[in-house]
Amino acid sequence: MTLADLVRDSPDKWEVQLRKGCLELAILASLWSGRLYGLEILRRLEADSELVVSEGTVYPLLSRLKALGLLTSEWVESDAGHPRKYYALTPAGRTRALEMRSIWQKFTASLDSLLAPLNQEK
Amino acid sequence: MTLSETSQRTLDAYLATLHKRLRGMPDDDIREIVEEIRSHVMDKASASGIITDAGVTSALSALGSPEELAGQYMTDDLLARAQATGSFWLILRSLFRWASISVAGFFVLIGSLICYCLGFFLAWAAILKPLHPQRAGLWMIPRPGGDVEMSLHLGFASPPATGHEVLGWWIIPIGILGIGLFFATLRVDQWSLGKFRRSLSLGGRS
Repeated sequence: MTLADLVRDSPDKWEVQLRKGCLELAILASLWSGRLYGLEILRRLEADSELVVSEGTVYPLLSRLKALGLLTSEWVESDAGHPRKYYALTPAGRTRALEMRSIWQKFTASLDSLLAPLNQEK
Repeated sequence: MTLSETSQRTLDAYLATLHKRLRGMPDDDIREIVEEIRSHVMDKASASGIITDAGVTSALSALGSPEELAGQYMTDDLLARAQATGSFWLILRSLFRWASISVAGFFVLIGSLICYCLGFFLAWAAILKPLHPQRAGLWMIPRPGGDVEMSLHLGFASPPATGHEVLGWWIIPIGILGIGLFFATLRVDQWSLGKFRRSLSLGGRS
Protein backbone atom coordinates (compact mmCIF):
# COMPACT_ATOMS: atom_id res chain seq x y z
CA MET A 1 0.00 0.00 0.00
CA THR A 2 1.41 3.39 -0.98
CA LEU A 3 1.19 6.61 0.99
CA ALA A 4 -1.33 7.87 -1.58
CA ASP A 5 -3.54 4.82 -0.87
CA LEU A 6 -3.34 5.49 2.85
CA VAL A 7 -4.34 9.12 2.39
CA ARG A 8 -7.18 8.17 0.05
CA ASP A 9 -8.47 5.43 2.40
CA SER A 10 -8.09 7.37 5.64
CA PRO A 11 -11.57 8.99 5.70
CA ASP A 12 -13.13 5.51 5.45
CA LYS A 13 -10.88 4.14 8.16
CA TRP A 14 -11.62 7.14 10.34
CA GLU A 15 -15.34 6.52 9.90
CA VAL A 16 -14.92 2.85 10.82
CA GLN A 17 -12.98 3.77 13.97
CA LEU A 18 -15.55 6.43 14.85
CA ARG A 19 -18.41 3.95 14.51
CA LYS A 20 -16.54 1.38 16.57
CA GLY A 21 -15.84 3.94 19.25
CA CYS A 22 -19.56 4.69 19.53
CA LEU A 23 -20.62 1.06 19.73
CA GLU A 24 -20.71 0.71 23.50
CA LEU A 25 -22.79 3.86 23.88
CA ALA A 26 -25.08 2.73 21.05
CA ILE A 27 -25.68 -0.66 22.67
CA LEU A 28 -26.35 0.85 26.10
CA ALA A 29 -28.70 3.40 24.51
CA SER A 30 -30.56 0.70 22.55
CA LEU A 31 -31.37 -1.03 25.84
CA TRP A 32 -32.49 2.13 27.62
CA SER A 33 -36.21 1.49 27.11
CA GLY A 34 -36.18 -2.19 27.97
CA ARG A 35 -34.65 -5.60 27.44
CA LEU A 36 -33.74 -6.86 23.96
CA TYR A 37 -32.10 -9.99 22.59
CA GLY A 38 -28.99 -9.96 20.38
CA LEU A 39 -30.64 -9.78 16.97
CA GLU A 40 -33.05 -7.07 18.15
CA ILE A 41 -30.10 -5.01 19.37
CA LEU A 42 -28.40 -5.42 15.99
CA ARG A 43 -31.56 -4.38 14.14
CA ARG A 44 -32.05 -1.41 16.46
CA LEU A 45 -28.47 -0.28 15.82
CA GLU A 46 -28.89 -0.57 12.07
CA ALA A 47 -32.31 1.08 11.96
CA ASP A 48 -31.79 3.95 14.41
CA SER A 49 -28.13 4.80 14.06
CA GLU A 50 -26.96 3.48 10.69
CA LEU A 51 -24.32 1.64 12.67
CA VAL A 52 -23.59 -1.31 10.45
CA VAL A 53 -21.92 -3.62 12.90
CA SER A 54 -20.36 -7.01 12.40
CA GLU A 55 -22.49 -9.57 14.22
CA GLY A 56 -19.36 -11.35 15.32
CA THR A 57 -18.32 -8.17 17.14
CA VAL A 58 -21.59 -7.48 18.96
CA TYR A 59 -22.00 -10.79 20.80
CA PRO A 60 -18.53 -10.78 22.41
CA LEU A 61 -19.09 -7.10 23.26
CA LEU A 62 -22.42 -7.91 24.94
CA SER A 63 -20.64 -10.61 26.91
CA ARG A 64 -17.92 -8.12 27.89
CA LEU A 65 -20.42 -5.47 28.99
CA LYS A 66 -22.16 -8.11 31.07
CA ALA A 67 -18.85 -9.14 32.67
CA LEU A 68 -18.21 -5.47 33.48
CA GLY A 69 -21.55 -5.37 35.33
CA LEU A 70 -23.20 -2.96 32.89
CA LEU A 71 -25.71 -5.49 31.55
CA THR A 72 -27.64 -8.39 32.93
CA SER A 73 -29.10 -11.26 30.91
CA GLU A 74 -31.80 -13.92 31.13
CA TRP A 75 -33.01 -16.72 28.89
CA VAL A 76 -36.64 -16.47 27.80
CA GLU A 77 -38.65 -19.08 25.89
CA SER A 78 -40.01 -17.73 22.61
CA ASP A 79 -42.81 -18.57 20.17
CA ALA A 80 -40.10 -19.31 17.59
CA GLY A 81 -39.43 -22.58 19.39
CA HIS A 82 -36.03 -21.76 20.85
CA PRO A 83 -35.01 -19.68 23.89
CA ARG A 84 -33.55 -16.21 23.43
CA LYS A 85 -31.03 -14.45 25.63
CA TYR A 86 -32.36 -11.03 26.61
CA TYR A 87 -30.11 -8.24 27.83
CA ALA A 88 -31.07 -5.36 30.11
CA LEU A 89 -29.20 -2.46 31.67
CA THR A 90 -28.08 -2.75 35.29
CA PRO A 91 -28.10 0.41 37.46
CA ALA A 92 -24.35 0.69 36.73
CA GLY A 93 -25.13 0.38 33.01
CA ARG A 94 -27.71 3.17 33.18
CA THR A 95 -25.25 5.41 35.02
CA ARG A 96 -22.56 4.60 32.44
CA ALA A 97 -24.96 5.36 29.56
CA LEU A 98 -25.80 8.77 31.07
CA GLU A 99 -22.12 9.57 31.62
CA MET A 100 -21.28 8.63 28.04
CA ARG A 101 -24.20 10.64 26.66
CA SER A 102 -23.02 13.68 28.58
CA ILE A 103 -19.44 13.29 27.27
CA TRP A 104 -20.76 12.72 23.74
CA GLN A 105 -23.00 15.81 23.79
CA LYS A 106 -20.25 18.01 25.17
CA PHE A 107 -17.81 16.71 22.57
CA THR A 108 -20.14 17.10 19.58
CA ALA A 109 -21.20 20.60 20.71
CA SER A 110 -17.58 21.78 20.90
CA LEU A 111 -16.73 20.13 17.59
CA ASP A 112 -19.81 21.67 15.93
CA SER A 113 -18.63 25.17 16.78
CA LEU A 114 -15.19 24.32 15.38
CA LEU A 115 -16.79 22.97 12.21
CA ALA A 116 -19.07 25.99 11.74
CA PRO A 117 -16.78 27.72 9.19
CA LEU A 118 -16.69 24.50 7.14
CA ASN A 119 -20.47 24.50 6.85
CA GLN A 120 -20.26 27.53 4.53
CA GLU A 121 -18.45 25.36 2.02
CA LYS A 122 -20.58 23.40 -0.42
CA MET B 1 -39.34 -23.94 13.08
CA THR B 2 -36.95 -26.74 12.22
CA LEU B 3 -33.78 -26.94 10.19
CA SER B 4 -33.16 -29.19 7.22
CA GLU B 5 -30.66 -31.97 7.77
CA THR B 6 -28.02 -30.07 5.78
CA SER B 7 -28.51 -26.85 7.74
CA GLN B 8 -28.49 -28.75 11.02
CA ARG B 9 -25.17 -30.35 10.08
CA THR B 10 -23.67 -27.01 9.02
CA LEU B 11 -24.82 -25.30 12.22
CA ASP B 12 -23.65 -28.17 14.44
CA ALA B 13 -20.22 -28.17 12.79
CA TYR B 14 -19.87 -24.40 13.34
CA LEU B 15 -20.97 -24.65 16.97
CA ALA B 16 -18.72 -27.66 17.62
CA THR B 17 -15.69 -25.70 16.39
CA LEU B 18 -16.74 -22.68 18.45
CA HIS B 19 -17.13 -24.89 21.53
CA LYS B 20 -13.71 -26.43 20.95
CA ARG B 21 -12.03 -23.04 20.48
CA LEU B 22 -13.57 -21.69 23.68
CA ARG B 23 -11.88 -24.41 25.75
CA GLY B 24 -10.33 -22.87 28.84
CA MET B 25 -13.34 -20.73 29.67
CA PRO B 26 -15.78 -21.88 32.40
CA ASP B 27 -18.13 -24.62 31.10
CA ASP B 28 -21.28 -22.61 31.91
CA ASP B 29 -19.98 -19.64 29.91
CA ILE B 30 -19.12 -21.85 26.92
CA ARG B 31 -22.58 -23.46 26.98
CA GLU B 32 -24.25 -20.06 27.16
CA ILE B 33 -22.20 -18.61 24.28
CA VAL B 34 -22.90 -21.63 22.06
CA GLU B 35 -26.63 -21.54 22.82
CA GLU B 36 -26.79 -17.79 22.19
CA ILE B 37 -25.12 -18.18 18.79
CA ARG B 38 -27.46 -21.09 17.95
CA SER B 39 -30.45 -18.92 18.91
CA HIS B 40 -29.09 -16.02 16.82
CA VAL B 41 -28.65 -18.19 13.72
CA MET B 42 -32.18 -19.63 14.09
CA ASP B 43 -33.64 -16.11 14.43
CA LYS B 44 -31.59 -14.68 11.58
CA ALA B 45 -32.24 -17.60 9.23
CA SER B 46 -36.00 -17.52 9.90
CA ALA B 47 -36.36 -13.76 9.37
CA SER B 48 -38.34 -14.33 6.17
CA GLY B 49 -40.72 -16.77 7.86
CA ILE B 50 -39.06 -20.00 6.76
CA ILE B 51 -35.60 -21.36 7.45
CA THR B 52 -33.60 -22.07 4.32
CA ASP B 53 -30.15 -23.61 3.91
CA ALA B 54 -28.99 -20.36 2.29
CA GLY B 55 -30.33 -18.40 5.28
CA VAL B 56 -28.34 -20.52 7.73
CA THR B 57 -25.17 -20.24 5.64
CA SER B 58 -25.61 -16.49 5.35
CA ALA B 59 -26.23 -16.09 9.11
CA LEU B 60 -23.08 -18.07 9.92
CA SER B 61 -21.05 -16.18 7.38
CA ALA B 62 -22.14 -12.85 8.93
CA LEU B 63 -20.79 -14.04 12.28
CA GLY B 64 -17.32 -14.69 10.83
CA SER B 65 -15.38 -17.89 11.31
CA PRO B 66 -15.89 -19.78 14.60
CA GLU B 67 -12.16 -19.39 15.27
CA GLU B 68 -12.36 -15.58 15.01
CA LEU B 69 -15.53 -15.43 17.07
CA ALA B 70 -14.03 -17.63 19.79
CA GLY B 71 -10.87 -15.51 19.72
CA GLN B 72 -12.86 -12.39 20.63
CA TYR B 73 -14.55 -14.12 23.56
CA MET B 74 -11.29 -15.72 24.72
CA THR B 75 -9.36 -12.45 24.67
CA ASP B 76 -11.78 -10.81 27.06
CA ASP B 77 -12.01 -13.88 29.28
CA LEU B 78 -8.23 -14.10 29.50
CA LEU B 79 -7.89 -10.38 30.28
CA ALA B 80 -10.65 -10.55 32.90
CA ARG B 81 -9.00 -13.49 34.68
CA ALA B 82 -5.55 -11.89 34.50
CA GLN B 83 -6.94 -8.66 35.93
CA ALA B 84 -8.88 -10.39 38.69
CA THR B 85 -6.22 -12.87 39.85
CA GLY B 86 -2.99 -10.97 39.12
CA SER B 87 -1.50 -14.37 38.16
CA PHE B 88 1.91 -14.01 36.51
CA TRP B 89 1.21 -16.65 33.83
CA LEU B 90 -2.21 -15.24 32.97
CA ILE B 91 -0.72 -11.74 32.75
CA LEU B 92 2.06 -13.03 30.51
CA ARG B 93 -0.41 -14.86 28.24
CA SER B 94 -2.56 -11.70 28.10
CA LEU B 95 0.49 -9.62 27.14
CA PHE B 96 1.27 -12.00 24.27
CA ARG B 97 -2.39 -11.78 23.15
CA TRP B 98 -2.23 -7.96 23.35
CA ALA B 99 1.05 -7.93 21.39
CA SER B 100 -0.59 -10.00 18.66
CA ILE B 101 -3.32 -7.36 18.32
CA SER B 102 -1.54 -4.00 18.53
CA VAL B 103 1.83 -2.27 18.30
CA ALA B 104 1.34 -0.72 21.75
CA GLY B 105 0.85 -4.23 23.13
CA PHE B 106 4.06 -5.36 21.47
CA PHE B 107 6.10 -2.61 23.17
CA VAL B 108 4.44 -3.28 26.55
CA LEU B 109 5.35 -6.97 26.13
CA ILE B 110 9.00 -6.23 25.27
CA GLY B 111 9.36 -3.75 28.16
CA SER B 112 7.72 -6.15 30.58
CA LEU B 113 9.85 -9.13 29.51
CA ILE B 114 13.02 -7.07 30.06
CA CYS B 115 11.85 -6.01 33.54
CA TYR B 116 10.73 -9.52 34.52
CA CYS B 117 14.00 -11.11 33.36
CA LEU B 118 16.13 -8.45 35.05
CA GLY B 119 14.17 -8.68 38.31
CA PHE B 120 14.15 -12.48 38.23
CA PHE B 121 17.87 -12.93 37.62
CA LEU B 122 18.94 -10.21 40.06
CA ALA B 123 16.81 -11.89 42.73
CA TRP B 124 18.29 -15.32 41.96
CA ALA B 125 21.83 -13.97 41.98
CA ALA B 126 21.12 -12.49 45.43
CA ILE B 127 19.59 -15.74 46.72
CA LEU B 128 22.52 -17.81 45.43
CA LYS B 129 25.25 -15.42 46.60
CA PRO B 130 25.57 -17.03 50.07
CA LEU B 131 25.85 -20.47 48.39
CA HIS B 132 28.36 -19.38 45.71
CA PRO B 133 30.04 -16.35 47.27
CA GLN B 134 33.02 -16.44 44.87
CA ARG B 135 31.01 -16.96 41.67
CA ALA B 136 27.51 -15.42 41.93
CA GLY B 137 27.18 -11.73 41.08
CA LEU B 138 27.79 -9.20 38.36
CA TRP B 139 31.02 -9.92 36.51
CA MET B 140 33.03 -7.46 34.49
CA ILE B 141 34.93 -9.44 31.85
CA PRO B 142 37.50 -7.82 29.54
CA ARG B 143 37.19 -8.81 25.88
CA PRO B 144 39.74 -8.58 23.05
CA GLY B 145 39.81 -5.11 21.53
CA GLY B 146 39.40 -3.32 24.83
CA ASP B 147 35.68 -4.00 25.26
CA VAL B 148 34.28 -4.98 28.63
CA GLU B 149 31.35 -7.37 29.00
CA MET B 150 29.00 -7.15 31.99
CA SER B 151 27.53 -10.54 32.86
CA LEU B 152 25.23 -11.68 35.66
CA HIS B 153 26.32 -15.05 37.03
CA LEU B 154 24.29 -17.32 39.30
CA GLY B 155 27.39 -19.24 40.34
CA PHE B 156 26.64 -22.69 38.91
CA ALA B 157 29.40 -22.52 36.30
CA SER B 158 33.11 -21.96 36.88
CA PRO B 159 34.06 -18.31 37.33
CA PRO B 160 35.35 -16.58 34.18
CA ALA B 161 39.09 -16.98 33.65
CA THR B 162 39.52 -13.23 33.41
CA GLY B 163 37.60 -10.37 34.98
CA HIS B 164 36.20 -9.81 38.42
CA GLU B 165 32.90 -9.63 40.28
CA VAL B 166 31.97 -6.00 40.92
CA LEU B 167 29.02 -5.89 43.30
CA GLY B 168 30.17 -8.19 46.10
CA TRP B 169 27.54 -8.48 48.84
CA TRP B 170 25.71 -5.45 47.40
CA ILE B 171 24.00 -8.00 45.15
CA ILE B 172 21.74 -8.85 48.14
CA PRO B 173 19.97 -5.44 48.44
CA ILE B 174 20.06 -5.11 44.64
CA GLY B 175 18.39 -8.53 44.40
CA ILE B 176 15.69 -7.32 46.78
CA LEU B 177 15.19 -4.35 44.44
CA GLY B 178 14.98 -6.92 41.62
CA ILE B 179 12.10 -8.64 43.43
CA GLY B 180 10.47 -5.22 43.78
CA LEU B 181 10.97 -4.57 40.06
CA PHE B 182 9.37 -7.91 39.22
CA PHE B 183 6.25 -7.30 41.31
CA ALA B 184 6.00 -3.62 40.33
CA THR B 185 6.04 -4.69 36.66
CA LEU B 186 3.35 -7.26 37.46
CA ARG B 187 1.12 -4.56 38.98
CA VAL B 188 1.74 -2.12 36.12
CA ASP B 189 0.89 -4.86 33.61
CA GLN B 190 -2.28 -5.71 35.54
CA TRP B 191 -3.29 -2.05 35.37
CA SER B 192 -2.35 -1.72 31.68
CA LEU B 193 -4.32 -4.83 30.78
CA GLY B 194 -7.32 -3.34 32.56
CA LYS B 195 -7.00 -0.24 30.37
CA PHE B 196 -6.59 -2.41 27.29
CA ARG B 197 -9.68 -4.43 28.21
CA ARG B 198 -11.61 -1.23 28.68
CA SER B 199 -10.47 -0.02 25.24
CA LEU B 200 -11.74 -3.30 23.74
CA SER B 201 -15.16 -2.75 25.27
CA LEU B 202 -15.10 0.67 23.62
CA GLY B 203 -14.57 -1.08 20.30
CA GLY B 204 -10.91 -0.20 20.01
CA ARG B 205 -9.89 -3.41 18.35
CA SER B 206 -9.61 -3.14 14.60
